[in-house]
Amino acid sequence: MASIIDMKRNQQELFKQEVETTDMALFVRTSDEAMLGWDRQRIVDALTRETYVDFDTAKEIAREVEDLIATSQIKMITAPLIRELVDTKLVERGLEQARKMHTRLGMPLYDVDQLILHPNKENANVPHGPEATNLTLAERIKKEYALLSVFSQEIADAHMRGDIHLHDLGFIDRPYCSGQSLEYIKRFGLSLPNSIAMAKPAKHPEVLLAHMVKFAAALQSHFAGAIGWDSINLFFAPYLVGMSEQELEQLAQMMIFEFSQQAVARGGQAIFTDLNLYWEIPKHFENVPAIGPGGEFTGKTYSDYLKESQRFAEALFDVYQEGDGSGRPFFFPKPLVHITEKFFQTPGHMDFLYHICDVSSEKGNTYYVFDRGETAKISECCRLSFKLDQTDLEDAKQPWKMRYCALQNVTLNLPRIAYLARGEDSKLFSKIAEFVELAVKAHLEKKRFIEKLLSLGEKGPLALLAMDRDGSPYLRMHRASFLVGMVGLNELVQIHTGQEMHQSKQAFKFGLRVIAHMKLLVDKFSQRHGMRFVLEQTPAESTAYRFAKLDLRFHSPKSGHIVKGDISKGEVYYTNSTYLNNSAVLNPIERVRQEGLFHPLIEAGALTHIWLGEARPSKASLANFVIKTFQLTQNDQIAFSPEFTTCNRCNRTSRGLRSSCVYCGSEDVDGITRITGYFTKISSWNKGKIGELRNRYRNQPFLKENEEGIALEVG
Amino acid sequence: MGSIKIFTKAKCPKCPAVKEIGTKLKKEGVSVLHYDLDTIDGLAEASFYSILSTPSLVIEDEEEREVISWRGVVPTLQEVKDHLLSGR
Repeated sequence: MASIIDMKRNQQELFKQEVETTDMALFVRTSDEAMLGWDRQRIVDALTRETYVDFDTAKEIAREVEDLIATSQIKMITAPLIRELVDTKLVERGLEQARKMHTRLGMPLYDVDQLILHPNKENANVPHGPEATNLTLAERIKKEYALLSVFSQEIADAHMRGDIHLHDLGFIDRPYCSGQSLEYIKRFGLSLPNSIAMAKPAKHPEVLLAHMVKFAAALQSHFAGAIGWDSINLFFAPYLVGMSEQELEQLAQMMIFEFSQQAVARGGQAIFTDLNLYWEIPKHFENVPAIGPGGEFTGKTYSDYLKESQRFAEALFDVYQEGDGSGRPFFFPKPLVHITEKFFQTPGHMDFLYHICDVSSEKGNTYYVFDRGETAKISECCRLSFKLDQTDLEDAKQPWKMRYCALQNVTLNLPRIAYLARGEDSKLFSKIAEFVELAVKAHLEKKRFIEKLLSLGEKGPLALLAMDRDGSPYLRMHRASFLVGMVGLNELVQIHTGQEMHQSKQAFKFGLRVIAHMKLLVDKFSQRHGMRFVLEQTPAESTAYRFAKLDLRFHSPKSGHIVKGDISKGEVYYTNSTYLNNSAVLNPIERVRQEGLFHPLIEAGALTHIWLGEARPSKASLANFVIKTFQLTQNDQIAFSPEFTTCNRCNRTSRGLRSSCVYCGSEDVDGITRITGYFTKISSWNKGKIGELRNRYRNQPFLKENEEGIALEVG
Repeated sequence: MGSIKIFTKAKCPKCPAVKEIGTKLKKEGVSVLHYDLDTIDGLAEASFYSILSTPSLVIEDEEEREVISWRGVVPTLQEVKDHLLSGR
């Protein structure tokens, strides 16, 4: 298609006199870098190919556009302009649908200029550089494509209005995130559909690690978000027999550095990697035959590899404790330690707990995932986890089958619902149902689109997900989850009842009613469609900001009293998901308990943050906190988050957020802390998150000095 | 003494037995509240008490603080009465 038409002024007169102008000497610069002559027929072809407009109308429009160009004084005409002129003619004729189908996707010159010059702050995990620019440009076009072509107008409009948020529209042709089993590459090697070389199953731990990293990179280009790996220390264990401490430490270092330095992958973005770790042998793997070097069964079960599994977990945390070359915490991969009943029955658990709590205090990396009773989970993304049901536990006998995905995440703007309900309970609850139904509809539309891509098999765009090495496609659609997230429950309650959730039991209980309603609704829709719709605490890195900004525009002045942050600086946000106000003064264990009451309703995962500021509590007090959380609450997952300042001049890292380096005094510093479910530099945060950071309650009154150092009080 | 809260679901084999205890206690003047986990209010209240299985029975004081609970099990009428009495 033509990109630019150059029309020579001295030929314009001639042009007007011609009955047929297609033989005019007008030159067209095409997108494939060639010069073509002007041909009105191209407009006719495009209209008949791309829309349902009949041939005669197309010819008429082409002639009108040609006349317009001929009589105008324009010296240079671009292809987008021609398309817009054609679109104007379609609008004049009331051909709205045809105009939509004929739309050109792209970006204004100014925007591209800005994009190339300035960093993208929508996702703090995207650095600034040519690869990131490519990613953002592609995302912008795919986002437009999704809203025009994949989703119905009703859904696209709901997204644009900010009733709901369709996550990762720029990655419309991929599922959202996934959980993986290392057993797949241990058993089948690295045999990817579009790869020019096939690797047999690894014989050495370093090679297995190389396969894992490459497979993760391949998966990153097929999923929008996180890649989680199940029981990674256990599945490596058969390869680690007889390794010395030094060798093991080296392997652990390689794993963490490999995943933390993948800044050359998609868009310069590190792979969002979660490593699920266990101190014990998870019950569902106890009697499973172990796969070892060369993809061969070793003749033993995983129970026989407890020692190696534990040594590797310890080695990984030794590396986390040390941090990177500047002593900074590693941003990725994230270690998620599962705390289970069996954890407490496995010898050495207290020493390990102290070790990982020490890492929490020093660097903040550890996530504590609580699997109470018979629950088993695989975690990924900021907080997303999959609870394994009976079918999954059956799959556990052949662990390479244990690969899961969430196809999409749709988040509801809960405060918007409350503005619209104007204090009426019945209206509020029916609006919630309406919004959940919109989310379900969006999921059905995305599912249909992904299925279309998958149906093209190993020759299609999602070849990796369609590959079949074990009797079923890599992406098991029947096991996919469809996430329904929420932002601003706290503000919904505030608007509707006049109080925030931490301010009264009545307000808190009202919040529970809202989430209970949503839970019952998603269960009902799951039954109706034979799909797995589940509630998730959306990380909402930019959604909480987007919703707040849109509501300031559409629901002012009320929203001005509700949004959190600083309106004068534009640093506005809604409280994430079902969280209590993050500036509320609450005993941390009480926050963990109260927020945890929502967690059983939020099947796809939830998390509570404990912000530490610059404090460095003792490992014993954090271990006590973890144990109490497991025993006395229903909380799904917690993480302790310290803050750091890293100096770009002397490359040293200190505790707390400061404007200059404590070592060399340089003001060229970056703050580092957890944004949602991962650590990153504060300079890359969006304004809403900066507003939230200013408000975070850092629990200082509950961090008390005692003989062991600083203790985080449990009360 | 506060009240008794009973949590049940429609498809739960042991639930009728707990409901019956509730009915008997109500006749004796005890304040008994029933919650069905298939409803919004029932599920919300169950979440507030961390009730994860049915049937469950909670005795609470005037401040809505839990005194004792039976979760996923059916107590005897006498057991419930004993705790009601000891809490008076």
